[in-house]
Amino acid sequence: MTLKKTTRTRFTRYLGKNFRDDYTTLQIYSRDMSDLPKVVKLFVGNLPDGVIQVRNTEDMQKIYEIANETRVPITQRGGGTAGFGGSVPYKKGVVVDTKGLESHFLVDPLELTVTTSPSIVFSDLQRQLNLEGFSLCSYPSSFHSATVGGWIAHGGYGIGSIQYGGANEQIAALEVVLPNGERKRYSELDDISLFVGSHGTLGTITEVVLKIKFNIPLKHQGCTFDSPSEMLKGLEHLSKINPFSIWFLNPDHVTSFNEVFGYNLPRSYVAIISKEVSFEEEEKEFNILFNNAIRASGGQILDRRYIENIWDFRFKGFSLLGECTDYLVTEVILPIETSEKFFRKIISKFKGEIHLEGEMISPTHYSLLIYLFFEEKLSEIKKTILNLKLYKIATKKSRAKGFPYSTGLWFSGYYSSIYGKEQYKRYQEFKKKVDPKNISNPGKVISPRIRFFPLVRLKAIVKIASRLIIWK
Amino acid sequence: MLNHHHKRLKEKKYILLMFMSSSTDWQVDLLEIAQKCVYCGYCSLCPTFKELKWETYHPRGILEQIRIYFSEGIKEEKKVEVSKTLFEAIFACTMCKACENICLVDLPLLKVWEQVRQEAFKKGRWSPLLLSLYNKVKTTQNIYGLPAEERLAWASLAGLNMSKRTNKKASIAYFVGCQASYSGKMGNVAPSVVKILRKTRVNFTILGLDEWCCGSPVFLAGGYSVGKTFAKHNLDKLKELGVKRIVTACSGCYRAFKIGYPRVLGDKWDIEVLHISELADELIKEGKLKLKHTIKEKITFKDPCELVRHCGLVEAPREVIKQIPNVRFEELPSNKHDALCCGGGGLLKLNDSDLVSQVNSHLISEIEYSEAEIVANGCPTCKDTILAGVKKKGLNVEVLDISELILRAMEGEQ
Repeated sequence: MTLKKTTRTRFTRYLGKNFRDDYTTLQIYSRDMSDLPKVVKLFVGNLPDGVIQVRNTEDMQKIYEIANETRVPITQRGGGTAGFGGSVPYKKGVVVDTKGLESHFLVDPLELTVTTSPSIVFSDLQRQLNLEGFSLCSYPSSFHSATVGGWIAHGGYGIGSIQYGGANEQIAALEVVLPNGERKRYSELDDISLFVGSHGTLGTITEVVLKIKFNIPLKHQGCTFDSPSEMLKGLEHLSKINPFSIWFLNPDHVTSFNEVFGYNLPRSYVAIISKEVSFEEEEKEFNILFNNAIRASGGQILDRRYIENIWDFRFKGFSLLGECTDYLVTEVILPIETSEKFFRKIISKFKGEIHLEGEMISPTHYSLLIYLFFEEKLSEIKKTILNLKLYKIATKKSRAKGFPYSTGLWFSGYYSSIYGKEQYKRYQEFKKKVDPKNISNPGKVISPRIRFFPLVRLKAIVKIASRLIIWK
Repeated sequence: MLNHHHKRLKEKKYILLMFMSSSTDWQVDLLEIAQKCVYCGYCSLCPTFKELKWETYHPRGILEQIRIYFSEGIKEEKKVEVSKTLFEAIFACTMCKACENICLVDLPLLKVWEQVRQEAFKKGRWSPLLLSLYNKVKTTQNIYGLPAEERLAWASLAGLNMSKRTNKKASIAYFVGCQASYSGKMGNVAPSVVKILRKTRVNFTILGLDEWCCGSPVFLAGGYSVGKTFAKHNLDKLKELGVKRIVTACSGCYRAFKIGYPRVLGDKWDIEVLHISELADELIKEGKLKLKHTIKEKITFKDPCELVRHCGLVEAPREVIKQIPNVRFEELPSNKHDALCCGGGGLLKLNDSDLVSQVNSHLISEIEYSEAEIVANGCPTCKDTILAGVKKKGLNVEVLDISELILRAMEGEQ
C-alpha cells in the first residue's frame, strides 16, 4: 500500500511536521531490534508509507479517524527495542511513534501509584521515582531503552515480577484510544488485561497509572549448581522465600560474563537472588531462608565477594554480543516443572555456542534469554533455520510446555498459548467490536495471511518450516 | 566500583591508543561500526533525541543512516536523501558522549560523529554559521574573530599586569582559552586562575598574544587536519618556554589537549594536561593552597561532559569543594558519568539555540531540585548555558566557575 495523495494530505494537514514520509525516516521505522531477513521482507510490508509523532490523545483520535476512513493500517511504536516485530508494520501503512506523547509524572503517595505517559523510558521513570523515595515494582532488563507503553503492549515481565507480577499486575489504570476513536479509561483487571500483550491491536495507550512501591534496598545472595536439574530444583526452593528477583546464568554465559565484566564467578550454573530488606532482622531472616533453600536443593552458596556490585551488570547482558561476529537472540517463557529436558536438549544441541540468562517471573515460570554466539558471519538462511530449531525445542520437541515471551509478528497466532483460550475469545470479541476494519496494528496477535499467498497464514508457515528441520 | 574500574581501564586503554596512533589511525571504518550496533536502544538517553523524539536523531538511528549512506551500490539520489537527515542529526548532537558511555558494545561513537561531520564538510554541507566560525578560527585563531591583540584584554580589565608572566620560561603554562580571553561573561575566570596561581606561588607562564585557539571547535567539527595546525602552533610555543605541564579552566581546551592533540601530534605531544581543579587539588594536598573561608551557600557541581565523560575527570573538583570549611555540598541527581548535558556542547549553539535551551531545561530542573545556591562547574560553555537557563527560570542561583569558587574560599567574599 502506498498512501493516496488525499490521505497523505489529510495526515499532513492535521499533523504538519509531525508527519514524515521521507526515504530515510521510513527506512529507520521499518525494523525493531532485529531486522527482518531479506527473504521475509518479500512477504511482509515492513516499510511504512509514513511515520507520525503523536502528541496527545486528540491526535490519536484523529489518526484513527483518518485511518478508518481511508483503511490505512497503523502500527504503534514505543522504544522499538524488542525483537518480536510488534512495532514493525506488516501491511505498510503508517507507524505511530508514541515517543512524542506529552509527558507527565504524578505520584499518588497514598494510593502508591504514578500517573505517567506510556512514552517514558523505564530508567527515566525509575530515576524520578527514586528522587521521591519510591520505586517501580517490576521492570524489564531493557530498562534503559524500553518504554512503559511498549512493555505493556508486549505483555512484559521482568525483574521484580516474581514478587510483584508482570505488566498485568502493575497497572492500576490505563487510558486508551480505541481504534473506533473512543477515548476510554480502564481500571478493572479484566479490561486492563486485554491491552497487555495485545501489541496495540485493540487501541493505543495514551496514559498509564502504574503501581509503585517504597524504594526498599535490595540485598543480594549468590549460589551455584552443578547441573540444570539441580538448578531447577533450587529455583523452586528459592521462589518460596519471596525474593524480589532470581536471575540465573548457564556456565558458558558465566565464562563470558567473567571475561567481559571482570568477575570471577565459578564456571557452573549461577543464580543471584535479591530480596528487599528494610532492617537487620529481615536480612538475617533472608540469610537463613536462603541457606535452607540452597541446602535443600544441593547447591553451593557463593561468597558475597564474588557478586559485589553485580546488580550494576543486570542490564548489560547484551554487552556480550560485542564479543562475537554473529549472534542470535530469542526469549521464551518456561515452567520450572517441565523444562529439565528442554535444558538438557538445548545445551547438547548447541554445545559451546549457547548462553542462557533467565529470570524468574513467577514462583513457577521463568523467562529465558537464549543467545547463540558465532565466530563467523551466518547466512540469513542459516539464521532462520537456527531460529526455527530453537522454536521447535521450546514449544514441542522437549515437551517443555514453553511459549514465546510475546506474540508480536513472529509469534502471531500464539496468543492463546500465552494467555489461554478464554482470554483469546474475549480478545477476539473485543477486537471485532472496536476494530472491525482491522486497522490497528494488523498482522500481530492474530496470525496474518501471507502476501501473495492469501490462503496461508504466517503461523502455519513457521510451524511447517520448523517441522522440516532435520535434526543431526 | 567494578563498573567504574572497568570504565577507567577502558578509558586508559583508549587514551593510550590515542597516544600511539598516527594522525590517520584515529579514522574509523564508519560502515563497520554501524554494522556492529546491536540496536539495543540504550543510547535513547541522548539529550537531543529526548527532545526531538524522531528516531532519525537517535544514535542508533544515525548509525542506521550511516549504514545506508555508506552501503555498496546505493544510488546517488538515495544517498543525497539520506545525507539530508544524517547531516541534520549529526549537527544536532551536543557531543556529550552519553551514547558512547552507555553503549553496550563499546562503539567509539564520538569518533563516528566527528567523522560524519567531516564527511558533511567534504560534501559542502556545513551550515553557514558553522562555516563562518570555522573561517574565523582559521584566520584569527580565536572563536570570536576578534584581533589577537585583544587576547590579553581580560588582564587589563581585571587590573592585572601579566607582562612578567607572558612568554616567560616556566614549567607550567596557564592556557587561558578563547572564552576566558574574550568573553565578558567569563571575565572573572582567567583573573581567578591567575590569582590562585600567584597566591600559591606557582611559577607559571601564559602564551599571551601567541596563544591560539586550542582547536576544540575545529576538532568537534571533525576537522582534524586543520586542528593539527593549531595543535602544532601551541605545542611549538609551549616547547619554546620549556613547559612540561599545562593548566586550563576550560573543559573544551582540556579535551583538545587530552584527546585531540595526541591524535594529531602523536608522541610529540608529551605535555601533562591539568584542569584547574586537578592542580588545586594537588596544591591543597601539598599544603600550598588553603581554603580558609566558609561559603555559607549550598553548593552543587555540574560535571562538564568534556571533563567527565570525554576525559574521565570526576573526583578532583569534588575533592577541592570538600576542602571548603563547613561546606554544604549536594550532588545533582544526575552526576559524575551520568551527568546531564547542558546542551551547549558540540557546536549546537551555532546550529540550534532553541534546542540548546530545551536540553538545558532538564539540567536547570535538577539544579532547582538540589536547592543549591551556587552551581560550580569547570567549563565556560556550561557556565554560559546554565546562566541563561537559570535566568530564564528566574532561579536565585549563582553560577561560578570552579576557579572563581576556589578563589572565593581562599580570599573570602569580596
